[in-house]
Amino acid sequence: MKRVFWLPLTRRRVADTIDAELRFHLEERIEELVALGMSRDAAAAEARRRLGDLETHRRAMRTIDEEMLNMRRRRDFGDALRRELKQAIRALARTPAFTAMTVLTLAVGLGAATAIFAILDAVVLRPLPYPHGDRLVALSSPVPGIKAAPVWGLARHEMFYFERESRTMEDLGLYNSFSATVMGDGSAYRAEQVASANVTGNLFGILGITPERGRLLTADDNRQRDPSVVLLGHGFWERRFGGDTAIVGRKIDVEGYPMTVVGVLPPNAQLPNYKVDLWMPVYTYPEMEAISNHTYNAIGRLRPGVSVSDAQRELTRLTARFPEVFPSVYPARMMQQVGFTTRVVSLREDVVGDLVTKAIWILFGAVALVLLIAAANVVNLFLVRGESRRLEVTVRGALGASAGDLAWYYLSESLVLAAGASLGAVALAWVGLRALLAAAPSSLPRLDEIHLGWPSVLFAAGCALGAGVVLGVVPLLRTRVDLSLLREGGRGATGSRRRLAVRNVLVVSQMTLALLLLASAGLLIRSLQNLRSVQPGFDPNGVLTLSLSLPNGRYNHDYRLTSAFYEQLAARTRALPGVTAAGFGGELPLESTELCTGAVVDVPGPSGERGDCVQMMQVSPGYFEALRIPLRGHAPDWSETDAGGAGAVVSGAFGNRFWPNAEAIGRGVRCCNVNGPFYRITGVTGSVRTHGLDRAPGQVVYFPMIPFAAHPGIEGMPLYMHLVVRTTPGHELALVPAITRLVNELDPQVPITEIQSMEQLLAKSLARRSFTMMLLATAAGLALLLSAVGIYGVISYVVAQRRGEIGIRMALGARAGEVRGLVVRQSLALAGVGVVIGLAMALVTTRVLGSLLFGVSPTDPLVLTGATLVLVLIAALASYAPARRASRVDPAEVLRGA
Amino acid sequence: MTAPDLDLLRGTLDLLILKTLSWGPMHGLAVLRWIEDVTGQRLQIEEGALYPALHRMEQRGWLDAEWGYTERNRKAKFYRLTTHGRRQLTAELSKWSRYTEAVGLVLARQGAR
Repeated sequence: MKRVFWLPLTRRRVADTIDAELRFHLEERIEELVALGMSRDAAAAEARRRLGDLETHRRAMRTIDEEMLNMRRRRDFGDALRRELKQAIRALARTPAFTAMTVLTLAVGLGAATAIFAILDAVVLRPLPYPHGDRLVALSSPVPGIKAAPVWGLARHEMFYFERESRTMEDLGLYNSFSATVMGDGSAYRAEQVASANVTGNLFGILGITPERGRLLTADDNRQRDPSVVLLGHGFWERRFGGDTAIVGRKIDVEGYPMTVVGVLPPNAQLPNYKVDLWMPVYTYPEMEAISNHTYNAIGRLRPGVSVSDAQRELTRLTARFPEVFPSVYPARMMQQVGFTTRVVSLREDVVGDLVTKAIWILFGAVALVLLIAAANVVNLFLVRGESRRLEVTVRGALGASAGDLAWYYLSESLVLAAGASLGAVALAWVGLRALLAAAPSSLPRLDEIHLGWPSVLFAAGCALGAGVVLGVVPLLRTRVDLSLLREGGRGATGSRRRLAVRNVLVVSQMTLALLLLASAGLLIRSLQNLRSVQPGFDPNGVLTLSLSLPNGRYNHDYRLTSAFYEQLAARTRALPGVTAAGFGGELPLESTELCTGAVVDVPGPSGERGDCVQMMQVSPGYFEALRIPLRGHAPDWSETDAGGAGAVVSGAFGNRFWPNAEAIGRGVRCCNVNGPFYRITGVTGSVRTHGLDRAPGQVVYFPMIPFAAHPGIEGMPLYMHLVVRTTPGHELALVPAITRLVNELDPQVPITEIQSMEQLLAKSLARRSFTMMLLATAAGLALLLSAVGIYGVISYVVAQRRGEIGIRMALGARAGEVRGLVVRQSLALAGVGVVIGLAMALVTTRVLGSLLFGVSPTDPLVLTGATLVLVLIAALASYAPARRASRVDPAEVLRGA
Repeated sequence: MTAPDLDLLRGTLDLLILKTLSWGPMHGLAVLRWIEDVTGQRLQIEEGALYPALHRMEQRGWLDAEWGYTERNRKAKFYRLTTHGRRQLTAELSKWSRYTEAVGLVLARQGAR
């Protein structure tokens, strides 16, 4: 049988071949029948008749053939893939150093990027973990005209108004968060302070929360002036009540008030970034009179397809109508003066915050640069490998391998490498992320949502695939089959200059990026140093702090009782061995979040104006001693406090503001408003960083715990106070059991929380910054290491290429030192170019660090010089080994042509 | 054209094709002619049904198909038994003989009554 040349089948040609086969059959049959004596027409009819239902058969054949075709294609593809992979793996196994280096370098770069991507994804990119989380928004009221508190929450009447009028929002709910004391039962359970929230009933629907047991809170519950029902969070229910299934309907004691448990929520039910143990109703109802109590957090859900800016436009319009709708609360003049508006932002943005979002993007940018540097090294490795394989490739080409075959050949190899690298990267990212999370500040929002999930794995795989394709294409750009290579015996000198130029560019870009990272890390390190050297205004060494909250029901009505508790606890604590001072304060240094409250001073001028934006705090005797806050003058002692006639102490910054050229002691200050109680100033403290090391010293009035006798109750009871105890440094936390015992003796219903040393508090206040700095420094370190490897590789290559030239130089009398210098100089030249470009870029780009910096300009010359020096040093070090190799070239050998 | 004596039993077409091709590669029409010649045209095959059968057998890997030229230099699709097909033939043959044997036994018993 003679064969016919037949093209491989395609789907279209399946039909053609079937027709050809049947046509052959018919024609042959007809001829046969004609030969038997039939007329041509009759023969044709007979042949057709015998074939039967031709269309059915044709269709059946077609189905079969198409199936067959698909099967074959799959099989062929699978075979080809297996073959290519096998070949690639074999080729890679032959060069283990190259393979290991490539996979490791890529895996490190990719692993770092993946770990940070996991954080970026969980914290910044993903919507909050609520059903329709992408449609949730947070509402607030900016009042730029009020410096003391430029952003207010929402008031209750606003919720009802917006709910009624808004077409962009489906629903709007309110909550506020606070801590409440759940009283002990006198035996097994101590009193406990728990995270609590007052909520409007519709908030559960907005957040998609359904009860695990019992029911939710409803609008009816919101109507009760004195709340009597409570919902338990899952964790609290298990912790405190052992998951008691009969809890619904039982009463629990919250701050001395009996509250009926109406339900238990499932484990994942929580407010944005706030795990609530006790849920209670906000007191509100639609007909409630409008009052300016803008203290509530508001969460709205947009209608499907509505954007945040749509909602913003609508709410701006609705807010503009406030003077007509609520004339008593929002006079038009007041609205204008304070610039009252309503702001809508996505809930995710509100929870995460601009600063954190920015810091995470910066870190992601940093690791992306590290990845680029790593990729540059790998490209370099590929170029070297390509060179050593030029002969092989040329032979393949000469033997007829097409450009496509060669592409496959390279691509399969780089993809195998990329696959290996992505596996390594995921493993490294997993390890890295665990370390990161262990070191992450607990204040990082959405911290518990961070894990190495599918998005991160896909990110790693996607980047690896991209890298694989690019690396597969790199050698192709220069595989022109150059047969002259065969004549040269594989040592083609042509084109090596151009190749070197490519690699120089790579190294220079690495240096540029490394300088950027180094400068950024340096700036953050300087910022942290600057912060650490800020005088906090107190001595954190050897101070224990803990928070006490006196149950509202018992202590709210009697100053004497409240004061006696604190005084006795202070006295007994001071008597503990090692304790030298103990006192109470409404706030701890560095931790103040509260903005200012008005206090009025007796200076000439309009008092309202003079009164804005100072901080007030109640302190007991012993507070300044325990914190070693320097004090000039006199702070009231317990007997003065008890007598109700104690004076106030002000901070230095307060004194300087109001009496810049005079003595503050002896002046007077009124609490709260012009008719408030008057206090004589008896002492002035040094400057204390009340709001954090990066903020200016606070302008504070320290009022005594018991107010002036003539004005009882005007400041509110000091129910929530921080105990500060000075003891031997290093033994702060050892005091805790003794102090717990003392509190129990006085009142077992007083919960103790936030136990920490002042050193810990200081560290915590720097935690976010040091975390960012640590990550950026790690990125910079990796960048430095990878760049060093990169420059080492290129200089080694240059030395190998110039062996002949070096040999001749040495034969002509060059000394080893000169040769070494030559090589090192070349390395420094590359680094120099990179550094210059990097510096230029740094001048432009380090500005993005902006708010992360403290006390250092984004173009700080010291940091930039330091980064430059480090890079130059690294370049010199990395070239030292190749330089030594160069100086050991044996001229005789070179000249002999070996 | 004489009327067919016997309709083809279901499932036997495959066996006939395998057996026929065991003599060497043939195109579809040649397979038909062979069967007609050998049986003296006693077995009537619906010719159109032969082709889907051939294609299915090719799909199963019993046959290889290849385009070639006939003695009269015309292009035709030739089918050849594969090793797999040869094994299949052996299996089908033994099945067939067991089948006919069993049927024969039954028929013999009835004949005796």
